[in-house]
Amino acid sequence: MDFSLTEEQEMLRILARDFLAKECPKAKVREMDKDGKGYDPQLWRAMAELGWIGLIFPEEYGGMAGSFMDLVVLMEEMGRNILPGPFFSTIALCALPLFEYGSSEQKTKFLPQIARGEAIWTFALAESSGRYKASEVKLRAVSEETNYVLHGCKLFVADAHVADYILVAGRTGKGKRTEDGITLFIVDAREPNVKMEAIPTIGGDRQFKVSFDRVAVPKDNILGKIGNGWDVVDFILQRAAVLKCAEICGACQAVLDMTSSYAKERIQFDRPIGSFQAIQHKLAGMLIDVEAVQYLLYQAAWGISVGSPSPWQISAAKAKANEAYQRICIEAIAAHGAIGYTMDHDIGLYYRRVKAAEFAAGDTDLHREVIAIELGLS
Amino acid sequence: MDFRLGEKELALKEEIRRFAEVELPPDWRRSTPIDGECRDFEFEISISKKLAQRGWLVMSWPEEYGGRGASLWEQTVYEMEISYWGIPGAGMGISGTQWVGPCLMMFGTEEQRKKYLPLIASGEKDGVWCTGYSEPNAGSDFANLQTRAVRDGDAYIINGQKVWTSAAHQARWCWLAARTDPNAAKKHQGISIFIVDMKSPGVTVNPILNYYGRHHFNEMFFDNVRVPASNLVGEENKGWYHLMQALAFERRSLAPITYGGFKRALEELVKYAAQTEHEGKPLSQNPVIRAKLSDLAIDLEVLRMFAFQIAWRISQGQIPVYESSRNKIMSDEVMRRVAITGAELLGIYSQVDPDSEWSKLNGTIQGAYLGFPGMAIAAGTAEIEKSIIAQFGLGLPKSY
Repeated sequence: MDFSLTEEQEMLRILARDFLAKECPKAKVREMDKDGKGYDPQLWRAMAELGWIGLIFPEEYGGMAGSFMDLVVLMEEMGRNILPGPFFSTIALCALPLFEYGSSEQKTKFLPQIARGEAIWTFALAESSGRYKASEVKLRAVSEETNYVLHGCKLFVADAHVADYILVAGRTGKGKRTEDGITLFIVDAREPNVKMEAIPTIGGDRQFKVSFDRVAVPKDNILGKIGNGWDVVDFILQRAAVLKCAEICGACQAVLDMTSSYAKERIQFDRPIGSFQAIQHKLAGMLIDVEAVQYLLYQAAWGISVGSPSPWQISAAKAKANEAYQRICIEAIAAHGAIGYTMDHDIGLYYRRVKAAEFAAGDTDLHREVIAIELGLS
Repeated sequence: MDFRLGEKELALKEEIRRFAEVELPPDWRRSTPIDGECRDFEFEISISKKLAQRGWLVMSWPEEYGGRGASLWEQTVYEMEISYWGIPGAGMGISGTQWVGPCLMMFGTEEQRKKYLPLIASGEKDGVWCTGYSEPNAGSDFANLQTRAVRDGDAYIINGQKVWTSAAHQARWCWLAARTDPNAAKKHQGISIFIVDMKSPGVTVNPILNYYGRHHFNEMFFDNVRVPASNLVGEENKGWYHLMQALAFERRSLAPITYGGFKRALEELVKYAAQTEHEGKPLSQNPVIRAKLSDLAIDLEVLRMFAFQIAWRISQGQIPVYESSRNKIMSDEVMRRVAITGAELLGIYSQVDPDSEWSKLNGTIQGAYLGFPGMAIAAGTAEIEKSIIAQFGLGLPKSY
């Protein structure tokens, strides 16, 4: 076993940390909370120039040929700095499955565009129940000549307002299992019959209801095989769970660092509050949570990196991260006292993002179920 | 990064499984490591000797002292598997194999190493140790210990009382912390470590039964016990620093041991849930139970990662500091959760005497339920461990 990052990964971490601290200070995060787009196109271009957007694409698609583990390191730093914008939607939810399941035409057409920072993508899966279950995919996709016609409605679609393309899970048929008969479509987000309505969230991120009113999608724009779309969804949810976990891990570390610093500076009863055991023990619990998330994350990510993903290790990481992020933020606010409850303090920025992170790529219950089945609880 | 076990570790796992099949009686029932009492010392020593013959008992020691120079990865896997199968004897005088031996290698004299290490490595009764740390007025405030050691020619004369001493009734030797300089500026500066022969005149051991009647720990009295000066370990008055090292060794071993035993307990609970009906359906289909057992599996996996992470730190030539405390807390948390959740699954049967034929799962869960509060105190309370993490892991000011 080996827990160490490579030298290149350590360098990427430092580079990313410095770049984001400089180019995306918390003032910018706050500004983006209110911004119409919710991200800074100039910063997006700068990240493309650094090679981050195409970090793990092969060079033939304009990428840097990095590993999945490199992406995890980068996204930990994005999470630490709560970088606003569609990186997760574009890369974790769409570019990875495009590379894995796309035809060579699709890859040649779409991946270099993404790597250059010229196309934003997102993924539309959940419907009215808000659950990521195959049985809940009801959006109809009917074959008409050279097209499929999509009709239905998706909820909680991240960054849809700035997306150029939306990956949509639709039902093209029925089979023995509810997973059968699902197909993924690449939909031009600018089609007139694609309508969006914002779902205001507490996190400062952007999520939407997206309606498809008889939207015609050319058959060339099917990702993967007709009827086998759930395999792609599984692929997406596993990778995305780990990458969201990376963001959460960075965020948790940031909250721990800021709380630990505050405990050393804040004086009450003529002493730093960090000398009181009530505060120390909160912080010690937070540290244990952070490291638990970190090592579960690294193990799950490593499995993907070497081509043998372990579904239950992935689920263990995401379930733990969901719970730890919430717990750490709440403890951190308590340790700060009233200042932690203000708009001016950074902790609220993290706390308000807990729920978006939790429900991205599978909530805690979904991941616990994966583990329950693995344990043999039938 | 690489999270695979090596071929050696995988082969070792298999060898230990076969060892358990061959060497343990078919009705061998102890499946959690915290039952507390050694019921058949002779049998446990016989297994201990077999473990020694296999080269497992002190596998990570150098060959000259009876080990086989195994990596800490192998050592960690060994501890997990021994505990998983409930193999006795590995923990006989756990003091000897886990911290006395490694400490003697670090700061013992050559004479001490030659005399004591092969004894520990042999698995014989004469290699069983106990550890004399706590006193009536030195619990968490361990540096407050009052047992005195006074130099008298070529010997030290020891007087005092120790308490909560595990295995003192079985041990041939005691790893003893005593005060050699009562006038030191700070109380932790006047402490030294001694090796005491438990057969010395003036040593008295009285059993202390735990709240469910098991004899695991003891109180010890030292009444003018004469110990040769050559039994001083390390430097006089520098014992505190040596003891911190010894405690780090001790706390390191807890995570793998807990992991193995409680992984087994979780597997048994899963089987029990599948085989037990409640309102016409197996318990395993109850969503609350599924969620709780999944959470347990997650925390067990965290414990496994923590155990290996320390092995990795040491393999990098670093000395883990707060990580041992982190692992101690996680280890206690896993025990507590298995005990509480397990008892919930057993329902009304959770109150049955673990030895009774009425007992489910061989009493594993009741054993854990009765044992975990004690285990959470041994080797450092959660409060002390958290303070160590705050101070050494996060750089917060000392709080006591």
